[in-house]
Amino acid sequence: MKPAVVKRSDSGILEDRKKSIVYKVDGCSGNGIKCDSDSVSGAVSQRACVYCGARVVLNPITDAFHIVHGPIGCASYTWDIRGSLTSGDDLFRTSFSTDLRETDVIFGGEKKLTAAIEEVMEKYSPKIVFVYATCIVGVIGDDVEAVCRTMSEKYNAHIIPVKSPGFSGNKSTGYKMACNAIMSLIRNYKTDKKIKAINILGDFNLAGEIWIIKNYFNKIGIKVLSTFTGDSSYESLIRAPEACLNVVQCAGSSTYLAKQMEEEFGIPYLKVSFFGTEDTTSSLIRIAEALGDMEARAKAIEFTTRMEREAEEVIKAYRSKLQGKKAAIYVGGGFKAISLIRQFNLLGMKTVVVGTQTGSKDDYEIIENLADEDTVILDDANPAELETFMKEKGADILVGGVKERPLAYKLGIAFCDHNHERKHPLSGYEGVVNFVHEINKSINNPVWKYLGK
Amino acid sequence: MKTKVKPLVSLNVNPCKMCMPMGAVTAMYGIKKSMSILHGSQGCSTYIRRHMATHYNEPVDIASTSLTEHGTVYGGEENLLKGLKNLIELYNPEVIGVSTTCLSETIGEDIARMIEKFYELNPEYAYIRIIPIHSPGYGGTQFDGYFRGLYQIVSHLARECEKNNKINVVTGMQSPSDIRFLKKEFARFGLEAIFLSDLSDNLDGGYSEKYSRLPSGGTSVSEIEQMGGAACTVEFVGMDLEYSPGQYLADRFGVPLKKLMLPVGLRDTDEFYRGLSELSGMKIPEEVELERGRYLDAMIDSHKYSGDGRAVIYGDPDFVLSTVRLCVENGVMPVVAATGSTCKMLKPLLEKEIKPLGDMIFEENYCIVDDIDFKTMEELAVSGNANLMIGNSDGRRIEENMSIPLVRRGFPIHDRVGGQRLRMLGFAGSLMYLDEITNAVLACKERGFRKELYNEYYKDTPIDQGIREEVLDTAAIKKREIEEKTKTHPCYNCGAHEYARIHLPVAPHCNVQCNYCVRKFDCPNESRPGVTTKVMTPEEAFDRYISVKEKVPNLSVVGIAGPGDALANFGDTKRTLELIREYDPKVTFCLSTNGLMLPKYADELIKLGVSHVTVTINAVDPRISAKIYKFIDYMGIRFTGENAGAILLSNQLNGIRLLASQGIICKVNIVTLKGINDTHIPEVVSKMKSLGCYVTNIMPMIPVKGSAFENLVPASNKEVNAIRDICGETMLQMYHCRQCRADAVGRLDNDISLEVNEKQQGEPAEQSRDQEQSARFAVASKSGTLVDQHFGQIQEVYIYESKNDEVRFVERRKIDQYCTGAENCDHKEGKIDSIISMIEDCKGVIAMRIGEEPRNKLTEKGIFVYPTYDRIEDAVKKATSMI
Repeated sequence: MKPAVVKRSDSGILEDRKKSIVYKVDGCSGNGIKCDSDSVSGAVSQRACVYCGARVVLNPITDAFHIVHGPIGCASYTWDIRGSLTSGDDLFRTSFSTDLRETDVIFGGEKKLTAAIEEVMEKYSPKIVFVYATCIVGVIGDDVEAVCRTMSEKYNAHIIPVKSPGFSGNKSTGYKMACNAIMSLIRNYKTDKKIKAINILGDFNLAGEIWIIKNYFNKIGIKVLSTFTGDSSYESLIRAPEACLNVVQCAGSSTYLAKQMEEEFGIPYLKVSFFGTEDTTSSLIRIAEALGDMEARAKAIEFTTRMEREAEEVIKAYRSKLQGKKAAIYVGGGFKAISLIRQFNLLGMKTVVVGTQTGSKDDYEIIENLADEDTVILDDANPAELETFMKEKGADILVGGVKERPLAYKLGIAFCDHNHERKHPLSGYEGVVNFVHEINKSINNPVWKYLGK
Repeated sequence: MKTKVKPLVSLNVNPCKMCMPMGAVTAMYGIKKSMSILHGSQGCSTYIRRHMATHYNEPVDIASTSLTEHGTVYGGEENLLKGLKNLIELYNPEVIGVSTTCLSETIGEDIARMIEKFYELNPEYAYIRIIPIHSPGYGGTQFDGYFRGLYQIVSHLARECEKNNKINVVTGMQSPSDIRFLKKEFARFGLEAIFLSDLSDNLDGGYSEKYSRLPSGGTSVSEIEQMGGAACTVEFVGMDLEYSPGQYLADRFGVPLKKLMLPVGLRDTDEFYRGLSELSGMKIPEEVELERGRYLDAMIDSHKYSGDGRAVIYGDPDFVLSTVRLCVENGVMPVVAATGSTCKMLKPLLEKEIKPLGDMIFEENYCIVDDIDFKTMEELAVSGNANLMIGNSDGRRIEENMSIPLVRRGFPIHDRVGGQRLRMLGFAGSLMYLDEITNAVLACKERGFRKELYNEYYKDTPIDQGIREEVLDTAAIKKREIEEKTKTHPCYNCGAHEYARIHLPVAPHCNVQCNYCVRKFDCPNESRPGVTTKVMTPEEAFDRYISVKEKVPNLSVVGIAGPGDALANFGDTKRTLELIREYDPKVTFCLSTNGLMLPKYADELIKLGVSHVTVTINAVDPRISAKIYKFIDYMGIRFTGENAGAILLSNQLNGIRLLASQGIICKVNIVTLKGINDTHIPEVVSKMKSLGCYVTNIMPMIPVKGSAFENLVPASNKEVNAIRDICGETMLQMYHCRQCRADAVGRLDNDISLEVNEKQQGEPAEQSRDQEQSARFAVASKSGTLVDQHFGQIQEVYIYESKNDEVRFVERRKIDQYCTGAENCDHKEGKIDSIISMIEDCKGVIAMRIGEEPRNKLTEKGIFVYPTYDRIEDAVKKATSMI
């Protein structure tokens, strides 16, 4: 195994960051990369905070009151910016904040929070209220858990604290806190009754993705009970313990929940992926197999063969225009990065830079295996590093989030939005078509021709 | 279903403000070679960057001290010292703003002292100016943060210096484009201005082949140092500020302070040019006069349209004040003027503007509110009957919910491009702004006036109907066509038995579960509705139509009759019919349905050219329906019992009414269920008659094994005929029904579907070959899709079975982890045995990598080891071929 070192592009790389950047060499460099650690102060990390992670997972629950207990910023910057869609209530698109002020910081915010919950309960008597604890509430001595407990008893409702002070870890800590909050809700509905149906975990119905996946299940005759948390509601979530299988789409955020449900409800889980045709096909078939439902399996094979063929035709057409182009990837989780590299491979494209905000050691090992020789792999990268390596590697397109987009454009590089704000689905066969379409639309847009002198 | 939220007393519902650090950072962006670092947790900087990046479409780099639990408990000094060093190394700035956040203020961080310490420890960085800015998020909004930032910049950098002729210019958060305008105007009057601050280049940069991480525009430190010696400060904020840079310069250095309104609208732009003229001693250029004339002309041209505007105006206090002043000059009535900041002095200022206009047009109903949230604003907008909103993108939810158009100005604008280029200053900027406002009012009118007036005045009384005859005529032609088609339709006309029909089984799903029905797709010898050999795609169905048409030239009818419900699969049904219609414009389209989705698709069916529709209606009383239907799935919800019956019935009746009124021939099938609906059938028939149905078809039930009614005694032909006879007095009855399959082909008396099918069937039964080759594999996978884990790290394995070239997932099995670190190495011996015992039924193990020792152990036990990195299915296939 080779030690992980930065070889060439040393400009713009901090000493403290060098261990988090490797070049793929000689097939495999082993456990080289430093990851899953605190961001380096002053390095301009692209990561968000614990609160952000919790919000990602819980916010799509459509009929819950999501109350942000803290100063206004936390609520303001997260209000309805994500593309989770709903077929029912749209309460989750409304922002609620206790809007803490100077005096609350001095005298504590518990009273304000109590009054807020009382008002909400008395006017709307919702089934679930999530109370997000932000950075300062613990510091000023608010006992959010106690307030939630008292209020839950008073109103006989689920008023659930979400322990998400921004400094208490990173985004993945937030995922865990959200999973704990979900468990504290559905645990109350544990049952011995089992029906032949599945739950989908880790899909947030961005741009209707969970609808696409549910349509597939409908086609092959598999019943979906609850979805975590895309397009979900109190009524749908509490039925989850009756399912006989959990399928986990976004592993980074929801495996933790799947494990808890396996332990407490005895529901086995299966990791799946609906990004890319190959993954979508094998996931659908495998789920039917896991259920022992041979009829569904047969239908899945028939259905996926047809869909894959149709998608493949589109991909084939685009491949001729994309072959040989170079991609840089900088996304939130390892799972997404991995499926992107594979999708690019299928398009005949080369991934030259790949990084994530919250990938784990295991994720990076897979990434190394997938990546071509000399690919730059980085964890918790900053704009300076992205700039340096995209230039060094001559990337043609960057896949990333909103903050990275202007950087790509300033460098004259095409861009693909793979974030929670996007308005087109990237899951399933439809998603693959959208994906290649978007890549082509940006990478082969005429504007780039006019940049050189 | 949707929760309608009203404004709440104890909660901010949809914030109309951001926090102080956002403002502080924006202020810093106008300083040359500057960077900001937020002392707090990582999220603050990331969220603010995201917000700014979407508005300005520029890379926005803001560092964070990334405080963690440790820093929060023991203080963040270490983080700040290190953070400063790191960001200097990366960006090499000349100025750094250190802004606090909620967290660092609450734990009481003394950033000024820490900055001192930084200088002590790093004397080589003495040239860098580091400015502490106290900006707790809970202390105010971005408006307050912005001015606090400017104040800190000036109070830190400005010096006692020689008098100069420069003019200090202070503004609120303006768009880069508007700042550029101001700079040009000062230059036009020969005035040398120092802008506090100048973000015009840094947040609206051009493309160049060389990208610079640290933008190089903005006001330099040396310029700010000279502000103390300037001739005058012009502060373009029409109100008093708690942290006024101009006041500071006046108090500290005696620089005279001139307060001006932003040049928005006629009065304030006039005042602006008068001010410039005074300061410079220059006459106002003729060009400006021309611009002024054009603006005035536009005001006149627009006044009758803009005068219809009832506006909600919101944003930073200075923005609201200027926009209100422009609006009232043009007769646009501000029914709500609001800011999310706490700003008590705004109300009297606005009152003075709005009241005179209100008095003129008899409008007393307007509100001026500070510290507002959007939910409150929404309520006020509705009660104020607003038809226009002016402010940032965050008003888009009200735009969406209440259909009130939004003219976008201010910050942030993240649902449109070009937020950084929006203009409102000067005559030209005001003109663009006014045009947008007027056009929003006009667009609203243009879109709505036809409908509005129609709804208001058109009453559809007999006097309005005199001109209908022509329309009736085309309807009559259509009716004749359909009559022709009925003559050649074997199901509708018993004299048409020489004509053939084809049922295309493209509709597998059903949204109604009838107690007498089991839908099976694989029983070629059974003939009844709901049965088919194969479900087809629209393309396959089209191919079949073509091939049958060649063999059966008298094919006159194409029907979609399941095996589920034609309308529960509407996409496929539609596609099928479209394909065929393109090929054959004449053939009759017929379709059968349970009617649940009929109201939704009736119009589309007519457009598709469907002329004959059969609806199965077994009862017109929900109580009876409850006994016949197990459930219905409607709008994503499963209904049972009488609810199900009532919904189904209401849709069936409405659907038939819609079709019949358009001349579509409707047949109603009624299944005779003894003891359940047999005595009720005449009532069903007379209801159908009243709806305009053409024929009813009373049929016996075919008992199907596995259905809820499998034991119900079916009505005999005689009994059914007796009911038909009775009903025959009410309306036309069908006596020749054959109750055909969902893939029936041919004439009613000669179904040839089997012959047609055989050619397409080729799959022998699988079961017989089953025992041939079967092997199980234990797969180490982390992702669940790939072989991507070390054997040593598995805590679970995926068991796969390979049989006859097919790979199947069996289960996920928990395993004791083999390798848990060096300290436990001694116990490995026992562990591998226990792992092997758990996968004994497997012929092989597939893992990304595997250690020498376990590999030998496994091989000893006769378990094949295959290290690879691949898709699981592919790996299992390869492993199978290897053993």
